[in-house]
Amino acid sequence: MANELAGYVITGLGTGCGFALVGSGLVAIYRVTRVVNFAQGTFAVIGAMCASSLLSVLPHGIAEPLAVLAVALVGLLVGFVAIGRPGTTPQAALIVTLGLAIFAYAVVVLVWGDQPRSFAGVPGAVTVLDGRVQSHYLLVIGVTVPVFAGMALFFGHTDLGRALTACASNPYAARVIGIDVRRMGLLAFAIGGALGALAGVLLTPVQQITFDSDVTLIVNGFAAAVLGGLTRPAVTLAGGLLLGVTQALVAGYGNAAHQTEIALGLMLAVMIGRAARRPAALEEPT
Amino acid sequence: MIRTSGPLVEVAELTVRYGAATALDRVSLTVGVGELVALVGPNGAGKSTLVDTLSGILVPASGSVTVRGRLAHVPEGRQVFGDLSVEDNLRLGGWRIGERDTAAVYAVLPALTELRRRRAGLLSGGEQQMVAVGRALMSRPDVLVIDELSLGLAPLVVADLVRHLRELNAWRGVAVLLIEQNARLALDLCSRAYVLEAGRIVAEGTSAELAASSLVSDAYLGGVVVDGE
Amino acid sequence: MRTTALVLAAAAAALALPVVLDGRQLGIYVLAGLAAMVTVGLALLMGFAGQISLGQASFYAIGAYTAGLLTVNGVPPLLGLAAAPVLAAGFAAVVGIGLLRLRGHYLAFATLAMQLILLSVLAQSEWAGGAIGLQGIPRLSVGGIELDEDVHYAYLVLAGLTGTLLVARNLVASRVGRGLRALATSEVAAGASGVPVGRYRLGVFALSAAFAGLAGGIYAFYLGYLGPGSFPVLLSVEYVVMAVVGGLGTVSGGVVGAVAIVLLVQVLNDIGTRPGMPSYAPSVLSYAVYGLLLVIAVLYLPRGLVPALSRRDRS
Ligand SMILES: Nc1ncnc2c1ncn2[C@@H]1O[C@H](COP(=O)(O)OP(=O)(O)OP(=O)(O)O)[C@@H](O)[C@H]1O
Ligand SMILES: [Mg+2]
Repeated sequence: MANELAGYVITGLGTGCGFALVGSGLVAIYRVTRVVNFAQGTFAVIGAMCASSLLSVLPHGIAEPLAVLAVALVGLLVGFVAIGRPGTTPQAALIVTLGLAIFAYAVVVLVWGDQPRSFAGVPGAVTVLDGRVQSHYLLVIGVTVPVFAGMALFFGHTDLGRALTACASNPYAARVIGIDVRRMGLLAFAIGGALGALAGVLLTPVQQITFDSDVTLIVNGFAAAVLGGLTRPAVTLAGGLLLGVTQALVAGYGNAAHQTEIALGLMLAVMIGRAARRPAALEEPT
Repeated sequence: MIRTSGPLVEVAELTVRYGAATALDRVSLTVGVGELVALVGPNGAGKSTLVDTLSGILVPASGSVTVRGRLAHVPEGRQVFGDLSVEDNLRLGGWRIGERDTAAVYAVLPALTELRRRRAGLLSGGEQQMVAVGRALMSRPDVLVIDELSLGLAPLVVADLVRHLRELNAWRGVAVLLIEQNARLALDLCSRAYVLEAGRIVAEGTSAELAASSLVSDAYLGGVVVDGE
Repeated sequence: MRTTALVLAAAAAALALPVVLDGRQLGIYVLAGLAAMVTVGLALLMGFAGQISLGQASFYAIGAYTAGLLTVNGVPPLLGLAAAPVLAAGFAAVVGIGLLRLRGHYLAFATLAMQLILLSVLAQSEWAGGAIGLQGIPRLSVGGIELDEDVHYAYLVLAGLTGTLLVARNLVASRVGRGLRALATSEVAAGASGVPVGRYRLGVFALSAAFAGLAGGIYAFYLGYLGPGSFPVLLSVEYVVMAVVGGLGTVSGGVVGAVAIVLLVQVLNDIGTRPGMPSYAPSVLSYAVYGLLLVIAVLYLPRGLVPALSRRDRS
C-alpha cells in the first residue's frame, strides 16, 4: 500500500509538472497581453511532434531543445496573428487563438499523421521509498522546477521581465515610458510557445501525444493557472502538481476514467469560488 | 545630448484625429531649453491628445512634432503600475535609456524613499503622483510634460509638487510643459502659457499678459485679474 | 422591403428544396438545418447576452440522448422529442446558476469543461449505452404515421428551424431583447438601469440550450443511433465558427453562417474524398477551413457576414 503511494505521487508530480508548464505558458502570455491563449496545448503537441521527427536524425539533448526553440517561433507566429492587428481585444484574440488551434490540427495531421506518437525518454525505472517509478518522471520534475525558478527570477528581477509585467499592469503607462507593448506581447507568445513545447517534449515519453491531445493539455494547464488568477507562476506550479497528484491517486486507487471529472470539477469549483468572492464588474471585459 | 539649434519642443501646424473627429486643429507651440510653459484649457480641449502625440502614443494626421532632446511624460491620472513596487515603477521609468540607478530620484523626491517597497497601486493620490514624476525623471529628461499635476490632490500636496518642479528646473535645467486645469497655479509657476480650446490655440503669451487678458481671467481665473509677477 | 423579399425567397427555397434534392443532398439539408437551429441560439447567447459558450454541443447531446433514451425505453417518440428541449434547457438552467457567474475566458473554459465532463459521464454510464452509445432508436411517428424518409426529416427540421427563428425574433424585438442588448454592451450599466442581469443571462443560456436540445432530439430520430463520439468538443467549436461567421448580432446570421459552412465543408469533403487523395484529406481540409474562417471572421469581419452584406447593400 505505502510503496504504491510513493509511486503514484511521483508519477502525479511528473504529469503535474507538465500541466504546470502548459499553465505557465498561459500565464506568461496572459500577464503581458491579457489574452488567454487557446493554442497553448497546441504548442505542446507541435513540440512533441517536432522532437519526434528531430530525434530520428539528432541525439537526445539536442533534438529536444531544438524542438522547443522551433515552437517558440510558432508561438511568435500565433502571437502575430492574435495581437498583431491594432485594436484586437483580448476577447477577440482568444477566439483567434482558438481558430489557430483548430487550424494547427490540419498542419499536424498533414505533417505527422493522425496516429499517436511517442519517443523514448530516460530509460529504466528507479525505486523511491519502495515504490517503482519510471526514471523519466524524475527528469520531468528535475527540469520543471528550475524552469519555474528561472521564470520567477526573470519576471521579478530583470529589466525585461519587469517591462513585460508592466505591459499587463498598465498598457497605456507602458507606452508612456517607451515600452513597445506589441513587441512585448509577441515576446510573451514566444516564451509561451517555448514553455508549451517543453511540456510536450517532457511528457511524450510517458504519455503518447496525438494531434488533438491539446484539449486535455490546455484544460489541465488552464485549471492549474486559474488557481493563481492566471498571473502567478508559483501558484500555477502548485496547482499543476496538485492536479497531477490528485489524478494519479484517483487513477491508482479508484477509477482511471474519473480523472478528467476530478480535474475539471476542481477547476470549475475554483473559478466559481473566485468569481463569488469578487464582484462581476471586475471580470467584465473592458 | 546632441542638439541642433531651435527650441526643445517644437509643434507645428499639428492636426490629430480620432477617426473622423478632429481633436487638434493646426496647433503650434514651442518649449525652449529650461523653460516653464503652461497649457491651459477646458475639458475636452485636446490637451491630453497633444501630450500623447508628443510622447509618440498618437500619430499626427498632419503637421509635425520635433523634440530635440529627451522628453518624459507624466500621464493624466498618474497611471502608475499598480501591482508593482515603487522601486520597480521607478526602474521601469529608466527602461528607454537603460537606467537602473534610482538613487538620483530618491534624492530629488526624498518622500519616496520610505515607500520604495510599497505597492504603487495602494498609495495615496499624492504619493502616486510623486511616483509618476519620479518615474518620468528616471529617463533623465530635458523636458518634463505633466498632464494635470493637481488633479484630485490636496492643496498642500500640490504645493509640494510645485516646489519640486521649481527645484528641478532651477538646479537641473529641466524644462516643463505643464497641463493644468488650475490656471492660476499654472500661470504662477510658468513664464509662458498657451490657451487651448476645442483643439485650437486661442491665446498665447507670457503668463503676465495672459493673466491680464480678459479672455483668460474670465474663463479660467474666475474673473479676478491677478497681478503679473 | 428588400429584407422581406429576401426572407420570402429564402423561405420559398427552403420549402421547395427537399422535393428536388436527392438522397445525399437531403442529408446535407437536414444537417445544415440542425446546425442552424443550434447556431441561432448560440448567436443569441454570444451576440445579445455577450456570453461565449464552447460547450453548446453538450445541449445538443442532452437533447439527443433524452429523445433516444426515452423512446428506446418505450416512451412515445413525440413525447421524447418534446422532452429534448425541455431537459436541455433545464440542465442549462441548473448548471448556469454556477457557470454564469463567470465571464469571458473563464466562461469559455467552464463551458468546455462542462462538455468534457458530460462526455466522460456518458461514456461511462451503462444506462446511456456507455462508449458505444444508443442503437436502434425508432423513427419518429406522429399520429401513427412513421416518418421514415429523409424528406420527412427535412420538413421536420424546417419546421423546427422556423419555430426557433420565430422565438428568437420575438425575443430580440421585445423589451427583454432591448435589455439583453444593453447587457451585451455593459453589464454594469444594464444592471444600474434596472435590467435583471442575472435572470436574463440565465434565460438566454437556457433558451439557447432548448434550441440545441430540440435539434439534438430530431438528430437522434433521424440517425437512429448516437454515442459520445457524435458530440466532440470540435462540434461546439464548429457552432462558434458558424455563429461568428454569420454574425452575432442578428437572428438570421445563425442560419446564414450554418448553411454557408455546412455547404463549404461538403464541397471540401467531396474534394477530399476524390480518388488519389490521402485518407486524412477530408479532415485536414475541414480543420483548415474551420480554423481559418474563425481567424478571418474575427479579425476582418468582426460583425459577421450578414451585417457586412447588408451594409454593402445600403451603400
Ligand atoms: N480615444 C479617443 N477616441 C475618440 N475621441 C477621443 C479619444 N480621446 C479623446 N477623445 C476626444 O478628443 C477630444 C480631446 O480630448 P482630450 O482628452 O485631449 O482633452 P483634454 O483637453 O485632455 O480634456 P481633460 O481636461 O478633460 O483631460 C475630446 O473631445 C475627447 O472626447
Ligand atoms: Mg486630459
